[in-house]
Amino acid sequence: MATTEKMSKNTSPTHWEGEIPVNYIYTYGLAGEAFFRAVKDKGTFLGARCDACDITFVPPKIYCDRCFEELKKFIDVGTVGYVDTFTVSFKNMDGSDKTRPRILAMIKIEGTDGGIIHYLEGIGIEEVALGLPVQAIFKPKNQRKGGIEDILGFEPLKR
Amino acid sequence: MDLDTCELGGTPLKSSDFEKCKVLTTEWKPNLGYAWDNGVAIGRYLAELKEGRIIARVCHECHRIMLPPRMFCELCFRPTDEWAYVEDTGVVNTFSIARVNWDASRRGPKEPPLMPAVIEIDGATKGMGIMHMLGEVDPDDVTIGMKVRAVWKKPEDRTGAITDILYFKPIRAAAPKKAAAGRKR
Repeated sequence: MATTEKMSKNTSPTHWEGEIPVNYIYTYGLAGEAFFRAVKDKGTFLGARCDACDITFVPPKIYCDRCFEELKKFIDVGTVGYVDTFTVSFKNMDGSDKTRPRILAMIKIEGTDGGIIHYLEGIGIEEVALGLPVQAIFKPKNQRKGGIEDILGFEPLKR
Repeated sequence: MDLDTCELGGTPLKSSDFEKCKVLTTEWKPNLGYAWDNGVAIGRYLAELKEGRIIARVCHECHRIMLPPRMFCELCFRPTDEWAYVEDTGVVNTFSIARVNWDASRRGPKEPPLMPAVIEIDGATKGMGIMHMLGEVDPDDVTIGMKVRAVWKKPEDRTGAITDILYFKPIRAAAPKKAAAGRKR
């Protein structure tokens, strides 16, 4: 018996369910704060410019990760970019089916070295192509709270 | 942003900065649900609780009657040998008077303090016992060594959980005969 004791009925093993109630409040940091203030108040994106390295970071950061110089210059980089890479998601985080597939893409912001990961909207899965020019779409200004959800996604650039 | 930057380079934040929305935030509650495999010993232990019994496990090497039960003796380093029912009475080994809830929120003035205690269960080896709550007792009257008895949920309400015992209450002077008699195993 004992550790060699076999359970003979497959209904015998039982388990105990629980959950760990944890929640948190995340602050974006100095550069992130500036970035989301710009999204909230102006509907645009900020980048951080390192002139020495000729790099424009999007989203902005407070240090250049190449030369470690402090970055004080946050510049408006606009909301236009292109699809760098993408994937299609059919499932929610809990594993349930999405009501519609969502396209998630890394959008490189035009004229910068950085980008933003967000939804692609207004385009079918078959139509998405790497290099596709896109622009950001925002919630109406009075609904913005200062966070990534202020951005609804990116849609094909209207020329 | 109108925030003080301290000499070390950090940005101190006060509660008021959050309350007045001086700082942007994102809130999140991760899903941390889990299922814990009860195993053979705790599985039987919980099933017996549903029947209103407390069961322990015996090691024939060290002769300990272990509660909660386990299939392996951590002292002898060998499998345990048999099941044994123990009493639903015991003595308070240690206790605490808690005026805060599990999440550190304060209990109201009319809510009695919580009294979690380790109960050494009669029939198990000395020192063996379970953590549970004390009830039907004034916090000032709780003492180490106090004799207590389990107060069970009604059979139809039991689910096979440690909470099938509601709490342990003191064995009053009127009831010692019953306690001494014990239950047939």
